Amino acid sequence: MKKFLNTPEAFVDEMLEGIYRAHPQVTHAAGDLRCYVTANPVPGKVGIVTGGGSGHLPTFLGFVGENMLDGCAVGGVFQSPSSDQILEVTKHVDQGAGVLYLYGNYTGDIMNFDMAGELAELEDITTRTVMGNDDVASSVVGEEHKRRGVAGIFFLYKAAGAAAAEMLPLDEVARITDKARARTRTMGVALSPCIVPEVGKPSFTIGENEMEIGMGIHGEPGISREPLKPADEVVDVMMARIFAETDYKSGDEVAVLINGLGATPLEELYILFRRVSILMEERGVTIRHCWLGEFATSMEMAGASISVLHLDDELEPLLAKPVNTPFFKHIKV
Amino acid sequence: MAMTAEQTRAFYPAWAERFAAEREALIALDGKVGDSDLGITMSKGFAAARDAVAALEEATIAGQMKAAGAALAKAAPSTMGTLMATGFLRGFKALESAGQFGTPEAATFWRAYAEGVAQRGKAQLGDKTVLDVLDPIAAALEASGSPLPQALDEAVTAAAAALEATKDMVAQHGKAAAFQEKSRGLPDAGGTVAVMLVEVMRDVAHRP
Repeated sequence: MKKFLNTPEAFVDEMLEGIYRAHPQVTHAAGDLRCYVTANPVPGKVGIVTGGGSGHLPTFLGFVGENMLDGCAVGGVFQSPSSDQILEVTKHVDQGAGVLYLYGNYTGDIMNFDMAGELAELEDITTRTVMGNDDVASSVVGEEHKRRGVAGIFFLYKAAGAAAAEMLPLDEVARITDKARARTRTMGVALSPCIVPEVGKPSFTIGENEMEIGMGIHGEPGISREPLKPADEVVDVMMARIFAETDYKSGDEVAVLINGLGATPLEELYILFRRVSILMEERGVTIRHCWLGEFATSMEMAGASISVLHLDDELEPLLAKPVNTPFFKHIKV
Repeated sequence: MAMTAEQTRAFYPAWAERFAAEREALIALDGKVGDSDLGITMSKGFAAARDAVAALEEATIAGQMKAAGAALAKAAPSTMGTLMATGFLRGFKALESAGQFGTPEAATFWRAYAEGVAQRGKAQLGDKTVLDVLDPIAAALEASGSPLPQALDEAVTAAAAALEATKDMVAQHGKAAAFQEKSRGLPDAGGTVAVMLVEVMRDVAHRP
């Protein structure tokens, strides 16, 4: 293991201390570094709370900020935060309009967010839940509820944050976010494994000339292990899975996210995007928004994911809304 | 004889005392197939529940369960702590208007507890979890025509038999699932906790 750290045990908390020192627009609640909240709550607005394990920056906490999220309960590396931490974040960000829980579909997170929602109800805070389940590779069509949430949750954050910023009520924010969820698909491919600091070595291997299509962001097994192919062929395989279960028609608009898993350079992401763009062009589909970079990583894993959100007249203006967070800025031009 | 709210208050210090006494035994039991935190979870969680209920000036039977559930969730953030918290909060909701705690209310409490645990833990009967003991406790109380102390005697008998039956099951959930076959022959650690819960309730109900 070759990492910058002091001790593996201090990895998460020292990362958080660094973030708080760098970015005064975020702070922590309840005296707990892991209860990460905006320093500038908007009165009367629906709160958007996320959470999940560490090791995926900028996901999850990186999107707390103006017109996006209000709080994030931070877990250990690849571990769920506790229900109490989620509750403390919830209490802190609630402005009387209720709170939307928006997180990825993982067992531990579900248990703790559900528990927190039940505890919040005792404090007269209304919550709704939307769980990202965009990972096409993690289960088949018809079993979408079993799919994991991965990088595509970024689109949900953006839609939810914009809807809340428009001062829409909780049920409306939840409805819009759920619509974005239903219209988002992601496919990932991994080229090398990641190392959890407290473990100290990779928990799996990927051969020098191999790739694993569909691997999860914690190294969950994917669909197939294959020899690495030229970038265009890799994109064709990934996009074929997405096209197979979507109905993009000529004239439709989409948003595309090309996400690096941690160790893949931006240059390669643009090579992937080039091919995605050509495939969309062939179908007459307009890429109205595209973002490239690191959005949901898996420590130092090499690889990338492609997420596509099928826009409509309601979602497009929400995705276009400017945002300003420590890790992501979207400026109106 | 049904219990009053003043009498059900006594459940909480009795649970705290029992789980403090069983701390090391539960750590050892859980250590065979889990991560050894069960004894810590239960002793810390129920100590917090005891303190939360003691701090209530005046509370209904359900209000005590609510305070205990919230305290368990905060003090014991492990999976088992969260399941126990869920059980008490569901008991609170199911008994919100109850003015006494007799056999029907006990049946309602344990059924709500079992259903809450099944839902939150996504467990099914036979998965070798705490649910495999909670469900028979609820069933025994639902079927009982006896006053509360005797009905709880029957529930304790059912719980002990149900715990024995978990020895033949193979774990499907949590860290124990990684041990699968190794878990065969051992009683489920969560089920052991459920037996203790109902035994203490029985003992308190028998007090004059």
